[in-house]
Amino acid sequence: MYEPQRLHPLAILDFFIHKIYTLVQALLPLLVLAIAEAGSRKWLLLAIPFILLLFIAYGILYWLRYVFYIKGQELRMESGVLIRKKRYIPFERIQTIQITAGILQRLFGLVKIQVETAGGGAKAEFVLAALSRQKAEELSRIIQANKRIAPTNCAETTPIEYSLSTRSLLLLASTSNGIGVALAALLAVVSQFDDVFSNMHIWVKLGTYVENIAAGKVSLIILLIFVLLFLAWLMSLLGTIIRFAGFRMVRDNDNIKISRGLLERQQITIPLRRIQAIKVIEGILRQPLGMVSIQVVSVSNIGTKGEGNLIVPLLPKAQLISFLEETLPEFAMSLQVQGLPDRSKKRYYLINTLPVIIIAIISSIFIPMGYLAFSLLPLAAWLGKQQYQDAGWQVDNDKLLMRSRRLGRITTIIHRRRIQSLCISRNFFQERQRLNSLAIAFASGIAGARAKIRGMDSEKSNTIVSWFIQE
Amino acid sequence: MRQNPGQLIDQKAILYWRYSNIITAFFWLLIPTACYFAVRLWHWPAWITIVLLFLTLALAIFDVFFKPEIIWKTWRYDVSEQEIDLFHGIFIKTRTLIPMVRVQHVDTQQGPLLRHFGLSTVTISTAAGTHQIPALADDVASSLRDSISELARVVDEDV
Repeated sequence: MYEPQRLHPLAILDFFIHKIYTLVQALLPLLVLAIAEAGSRKWLLLAIPFILLLFIAYGILYWLRYVFYIKGQELRMESGVLIRKKRYIPFERIQTIQITAGILQRLFGLVKIQVETAGGGAKAEFVLAALSRQKAEELSRIIQANKRIAPTNCAETTPIEYSLSTRSLLLLASTSNGIGVALAALLAVVSQFDDVFSNMHIWVKLGTYVENIAAGKVSLIILLIFVLLFLAWLMSLLGTIIRFAGFRMVRDNDNIKISRGLLERQQITIPLRRIQAIKVIEGILRQPLGMVSIQVVSVSNIGTKGEGNLIVPLLPKAQLISFLEETLPEFAMSLQVQGLPDRSKKRYYLINTLPVIIIAIISSIFIPMGYLAFSLLPLAAWLGKQQYQDAGWQVDNDKLLMRSRRLGRITTIIHRRRIQSLCISRNFFQERQRLNSLAIAFASGIAGARAKIRGMDSEKSNTIVSWFIQE
Repeated sequence: MRQNPGQLIDQKAILYWRYSNIITAFFWLLIPTACYFAVRLWHWPAWITIVLLFLTLALAIFDVFFKPEIIWKTWRYDVSEQEIDLFHGIFIKTRTLIPMVRVQHVDTQQGPLLRHFGLSTVTISTAAGTHQIPALADDVASSLRDSISELARVVDEDV
């Protein structure tokens, strides 16, 4: 089966590159200083081959000591050159298995395996940096097969698939929220130019553009903003395409398997019984197009930015119910919700418009033409109305559905036994109006997550409490 | 839905909070002090210090003389076989229900000041964060810890 064995020798190179990268990253300012000065440059050039040699030697030793195997129902790993480490992970405790293939691994037809448990920490508990695909799949299969001591469903079901078409991928990329991040990054880069080439005075130039608005030279600044926006949008577009190209999700008995990525092929396995809840997300850009995405909530944090939890990046809303019924019947329920009483409407308007009013008043006192900020008021009021209309809940046997909106609309579906705690709160004003806020906490990552509805009728929230404690 | 929980926390908690808030108040006083020196250094208008001092004192008086008693009066808890029921809050009243089967582990802890009053805090951990019952008498806290731990062990479900 799985005897004690070493990784593919490519792991040495992987380790080496990784170590050099972190070292250079940590010492970058020092390195720049050293290179800038002629005296120290000579020493640096002498030291570099020596350091590289040291790292290669250490890498080889590390590779020699890194042994992994399966014994009984455990995945075991022994490693460490100076400090010897042994790590045993019972199959039962494994949350997810992620198989990825970076550029380096791809050149040799290898893959990397990351095994995660519920334990804290951003890094995976068990990493095999280079392994032949065949061995990796065997390992994954052994773990999957052994984990289910008593299979609940013996009948072989045909795997259900979902894949992302090119058209959907483009739609996904062009409506991603990443545009804001990209824009911020671009602005940061532009402002960095200012520091490096101080004679360019970008902000001074921008300032003159602003002055030129009055003189009728509006076109230039508008052009600049459009170019910036366009570049930012292009960057986020490319990023999404690279990460989500070839997205494929398979429901295979008790597992959900996801594979995706253009440069780095990622393969993620999520056991169904590890899923705490699902979230249906309707982003503010995607909602008008009638598109939703589905996330699963699990204890281990999979992938970067929680994107690994995205089991369906884009789905027409009309197909949502049938998709849930076919692929995730455990979470399928009617999406009709019970809304909030009329008397909680006021609070939603107030909470959204009040900050805008305060900011607008302050800005109209201190900034010329600051009163223009009042034009944001209808937008805030509209958001408040939407938030009020979208908030709602529903109970179906053992499942609870909670829907609310901050900007995008989020629907959380959770089983009663997955709710870790339930919290009802009311402030002074809510007490007089017999309104409650209801929040549930569920396991997600290290800290856990919450879903909350504000301004529920207190009678209604009490029925949820009774349902929760099964009175 | 059943009534709000009925158990009060220990009455010595009032004294404990009073003392601990006195200590905190001294830290708050650092802000007007720093402001005083900033005013002298950069020639800011002097009223900033006075306003800050006034606000800090008002806060300290409330924290030391009024808040401990209000918190003690409003804090309620109950532990049954099925769930833990917590109720607290002055301006925002919060009731939290934790099913016993969801409890991962339970701790008691006490700092030097709590020890002086013979009090302990019980911390209940679930897979989605922790909840606290503050300032219980030592023997009450440890028997509560033991009984919660015992009740939580009955059903040992995976996360």
